[in-house]
Amino acid sequence: MHTPVNILFVMERRVNAGSIQALANYIQLGKKIGHTLAVYGNPDPQLSEIYFSNEVHLFDYVVFIFESKLHWVSGLQLAHLLTIVPRSRRVILDADGMYNPVIALDGYDRNHASERDRQRWVSSYEALADRIVQPTLWPCQSRVQSLLFYGYDSRGRAVQTSWHAKRVDIMHVGHNWWRWREVSERLLPAIERIRGAFGDICFVGLWWDAPPVWAAAIGQDAAFSVNSQRLRELGIRVLPAVPYRDVISTMSKARINIMTQRPLFRRLGLVTSKYFEIFSADTLPLIMIEPEHAERIYGPSGRDLVLHDDIASKLVDVLERPKKYHEVVQAVRRHLTTHHSYERRLHELIEMLDGHQPAVKAG
Amino acid sequence: MKLLLISKLARSSRAINTITQYSRVAGELGHKIAVFGEKQLDFPELQFSLDVPAFDIAIFIVYMPSDFPDLPYLASLLDGMPKSRRVIIDCSGRYNETIRVEHDFNHLEKMDGHQGWEWIEAFQSVADRILQPTLTPRRDDVGSFLFHGYDPEGVVHPVASAAEATQHWSRSKKYGVAYVGNNWQRWTQVQRFLGAIGPIHQKLGPIALVGSDWKRRPDWAVQMGIKGADVDPEFLQQLDVETGDAIPFTELPGFLSNVRFSPIFQRPLFNELGLVTNRMFETFIANTIPLVMVPESLAESIYGSAVRPLLPTNDIGSWLRDMIRNPELYWEAILTVRQHLTVHHSYRQRLTELIAVLGR
Repeated sequence: MHTPVNILFVMERRVNAGSIQALANYIQLGKKIGHTLAVYGNPDPQLSEIYFSNEVHLFDYVVFIFESKLHWVSGLQLAHLLTIVPRSRRVILDADGMYNPVIALDGYDRNHASERDRQRWVSSYEALADRIVQPTLWPCQSRVQSLLFYGYDSRGRAVQTSWHAKRVDIMHVGHNWWRWREVSERLLPAIERIRGAFGDICFVGLWWDAPPVWAAAIGQDAAFSVNSQRLRELGIRVLPAVPYRDVISTMSKARINIMTQRPLFRRLGLVTSKYFEIFSADTLPLIMIEPEHAERIYGPSGRDLVLHDDIASKLVDVLERPKKYHEVVQAVRRHLTTHHSYERRLHELIEMLDGHQPAVKAG
Repeated sequence: MKLLLISKLARSSRAINTITQYSRVAGELGHKIAVFGEKQLDFPELQFSLDVPAFDIAIFIVYMPSDFPDLPYLASLLDGMPKSRRVIIDCSGRYNETIRVEHDFNHLEKMDGHQGWEWIEAFQSVADRILQPTLTPRRDDVGSFLFHGYDPEGVVHPVASAAEATQHWSRSKKYGVAYVGNNWQRWTQVQRFLGAIGPIHQKLGPIALVGSDWKRRPDWAVQMGIKGADVDPEFLQQLDVETGDAIPFTELPGFLSNVRFSPIFQRPLFNELGLVTNRMFETFIANTIPLVMVPESLAESIYGSAVRPLLPTNDIGSWLRDMIRNPELYWEAILTVRQHLTVHHSYRQRLTELIAVLGR
């Protein structure tokens, strides 16, 4: 019999991005095993599965989830939260690795635009909470704890349908945010070489058709850079983003799903919801991350699903020998069920909140 | 006493003039006042500080959610100053049940993302004491503190008599009528007033509305379906009303002194709650005839009974014509009101009251 723990998450509400899928899992699981987990705020009809609460005093811990924005929480709410919840009960999940030195990769992806910008984030975190966790196995800063946070929901797996019945051959679900360089320099040339072997190819998500109008105003042109003409020339369809609850079913429409990750996240070893969602979908996941990292998260079989050197040959091989890869995927799913289930993740979260080092192991 | 003020500053709105006046008189009275935050070069009049422990009391001056500072400052402020030494001055009646007056409101979720109870809960959690600039707070747990005040030394043309004032006032002025204030929840009153003076506007001289959003209803108000920033550009054009952008608070007395008649309008919500604003006091330091367009009971409670000639009659046109014919009578009233304000509402007086409230 465990002691019930009540955890309130304070996060920016985004129905088709960020950590919302993980929260839905935590809330559902907590309910099942006697913990109360909620997102701070008023109920939101767009997020009907999420339990919201404003009764801050009922919670043992508050976990602030910071992604790419620092100032999304209203001053009025923050003033209330900070007065009710003492610093010792506040924790920050630094999902995008902002609590790090300025990291700029090849003059492209970066966590901060400047040292001044970094200072603002670091001083905000340090003013807000004693504890900072990052969803990586190897945090770079000594005061940051590792907590993978995102997990695998084996019960949420999509129903398996026939490989041959699927109408889409390749799908990529994710927004065009710091992804274009890798997509355009590695993935598209590979697709170009073998385009005739594949039928429908789709990119699902925001900003593959054009960068947002506000990109320049926030100094982030590079993050949204895209050449939609090139996608069209390759016969790649661009479809709108889907809400988090439809991600797995959308991925399941395709034989193959490709996961890319922005360079900064790869460098920092940050995991995301997508790492695990793609294995819940009824599809063959192929992942564009470093093979060593794939093995750490997915187990030894994970390496076989990495798109690394000869991407074109790998795609053709998967198309020609799906059975072999389905077996690999099954092995990864077993690994994820053992090492990265939300049951385990919730246990790690509670251990961390109670003051122990989270017992995260790569498996 | 060392007071740390927390407020989002703007040079042409909210409490900037009041905060500057407190800073000015604090030194004279042996107190210290600073605004919480890093030095802002736009406000050379003010001292800034982040050294929370160096202050006795933190005073939140709240109009809107962004009056609470951003991270990291808010966290260090709240963790560094115990609740018992925090005070909120609720300048726009947020700490009340939800109230609607015409199109005006104290809470509207679609405007700032917050429901009424959130304001109540946040205020209760942030500070032990909540003050409102009204003589008649509605809640038992709110203290009355007018906050805004009058600066007798700021009078643009100090005069010894109504005759002398009339002489100054009668010299050529750029505008016959001008209202300085943003187009927020004032259009109904402004439209009614302009309609009433329409027949004599040639006689009065040029009319101006100075502040944001007088040229047209802003896009955000249209998109959100908010009526509080309504305006009728055609109607203004018919009366040759000039519209201008907001002016910094330091230029206001000089600007109004170049205006013959300066109406004082307040938001319907403020009139309902008896909330006073800086403009109620500031207009009286200018060389202009203030037209006190606030409810009579509120006007008399602040200005004293001498204000009566400056309160509108049913026939606004005749009232203004009479002012033009016999300005000395009205200047008698203005000078008496100025004396009343000097005695009862000077910033020295106000800061002394605040220190007394805080010391309780």
